[in-house]
Amino acid sequence: MPDGTLLQARPAARRKAQRFGHKFRSRLTGWVLGTVTLLFLLYQWLPIFTLGLLSFSGPTGGTTFPMNGVSLHWYRELWDASIMNDFKPPLGRSFVLALACSATTVVLSVMAAQAVRGRFRGNGLFFYLLLLGIMAPGILVGFGFALLMRLLGVDPAWDSTAFVLHVTYTLPFGFLTMLAVFNRFDSRLEEAALTLGASRWTTFRRVTLPIVLPGVIGAGLFGFSLSYDEYPRSLFTTGADLTLPLAVMAQLDRQLTPELYAIGTATTVFSFVAIGIFTFAFWAMRQSLRGRQP
Amino acid sequence: MSTIRANSPAAYWLAAPAALWMLAAVVVPTLLLVWVSFWGGRAFSTASPLTFDNYLRFFSNQAYLGLVAATFGQALLLMAITGTLGYCIAYFMTMKVSNARWRTALFLAFIIPFWTSTLIRAIAWVPFLGVNGVINQALIGLGLTTKPVEAFLYSMTGVTMAQVSLYTMLAAGPVVYMLTSIQPALREAAMTLKATPFTVWRRITFPLTLPGVVIGQVLVFLNVMSDFATVATIGGNKHALLGNLVLNFYEGSQIRFAAVVAVLLMVCMLAGVALALRVVDIRKLGT
Repeated sequence: MPDGTLLQARPAARRKAQRFGHKFRSRLTGWVLGTVTLLFLLYQWLPIFTLGLLSFSGPTGGTTFPMNGVSLHWYRELWDASIMNDFKPPLGRSFVLALACSATTVVLSVMAAQAVRGRFRGNGLFFYLLLLGIMAPGILVGFGFALLMRLLGVDPAWDSTAFVLHVTYTLPFGFLTMLAVFNRFDSRLEEAALTLGASRWTTFRRVTLPIVLPGVIGAGLFGFSLSYDEYPRSLFTTGADLTLPLAVMAQLDRQLTPELYAIGTATTVFSFVAIGIFTFAFWAMRQSLRGRQP
Repeated sequence: MSTIRANSPAAYWLAAPAALWMLAAVVVPTLLLVWVSFWGGRAFSTASPLTFDNYLRFFSNQAYLGLVAATFGQALLLMAITGTLGYCIAYFMTMKVSNARWRTALFLAFIIPFWTSTLIRAIAWVPFLGVNGVINQALIGLGLTTKPVEAFLYSMTGVTMAQVSLYTMLAAGPVVYMLTSIQPALREAAMTLKATPFTVWRRITFPLTLPGVVIGQVLVFLNVMSDFATVATIGGNKHALLGNLVLNFYEGSQIRFAAVVAVLLMVCMLAGVALALRVVDIRKLGT
């Protein structure tokens, strides 16, 4: 703070000092916020890295440090697992389920977003109805759906009831993605095709769809990863054949071993690979679109 | 002119599958929960008589009421922590990082964990929090304590620590969205008129990001209120929130009580969302 005499005597110097003060304070804020951000990133990533590191501990290693050597022991245990804690069938189920959810999400969310572009009566209500899938917590929807299935006499299974419920969660994310993409879409391109005599369907297939394809891939990624990791909704609707998150939780209830860290690391790496593939497809699509422009 | 005409029947046909799906698998089950919570008798049948007994039994138990308060408390605590933290991070990444490459790298480092399993990320906290866990080893190694602190694993402190790492993204994301949509000219105008940086933030930036803050808070509120997996993983069997109570009753085949708790949870969450919507209008966000 500049003192009183300085204030009255030299306005130019005061202004200069003030400007310097602002700049300095702005820089200081930047440093403080930057430190907070970096510390948080560290806080967020450190457990994930630790999990990965501990999964390579020796055969006598416990669930925390010291690791007692470095080995693939726990991964081998995972591979030769007994029927009780065999993670391979749940992994297969989760993968197939995630693929199915991804495909369904893509088709339904493109249809839903295209419908909203038509501004039909009640589209506001429709928007909220879909948003409900994100807002309604998994434990409530899962529990309610399980009761409904019980009333209807349908046995819960991962490939029927769990699938229906997973889509209610993945669809809104895909829908919002597609809405955002269509918001930025230049409809003059469609007009050009339509004026040239293309039918609406041909225009959609040949002009609209290729342009929004990156968004479609984003919707597919949401569909895949959200279903693959879904726990609360699966818990009530999966029946006897467990999906991967359920199998992990069941194992955690029995006993915590580094084997669980190995499966955690494996699925996390798998998620990263999935993101990588989708991101690459996204990037390649953008590149090829850019290439076609004159 | 576009590939779909305004108000054309085609729009209804396109919207129908998604709408029916959500109605059948979200709306109907939720209404069913409300109905079941009023069922009397013992059998699981639609012919059950309707009664308030289930609610009366819930509200006459002090322990359950304490659980409602504890769940709200946990949600408010998380909202305060992730709200502050998330705003700082969002502000830094959008306003203070000018290098586009660095910004993308920070964004990715921030959001990638969102695409991995929440369950695994909660489990990843377990080796940190135990009596022999990483935190205690670090504390002893630094000479800050001689005896391991037992307050982390199987405690709400540990649950809170894990939840902060899980949910800060939800609080920050909407703020990032609002910050990037502020026109630079607005802030520049204020600065030309000699407003201090803090005044610019207080009078211009913050009011414009307020909808994002509220949406983020709603998301954190909803997730913490219904979170039972993190509590079960890190809190062990010693701690519970309303979500765990639903599950306990369900697994004990006390369907009616599970439904009562679920309905109460739903009412609490709806009240929270309604309160938030009085502050901002979500539908104005896109425009």
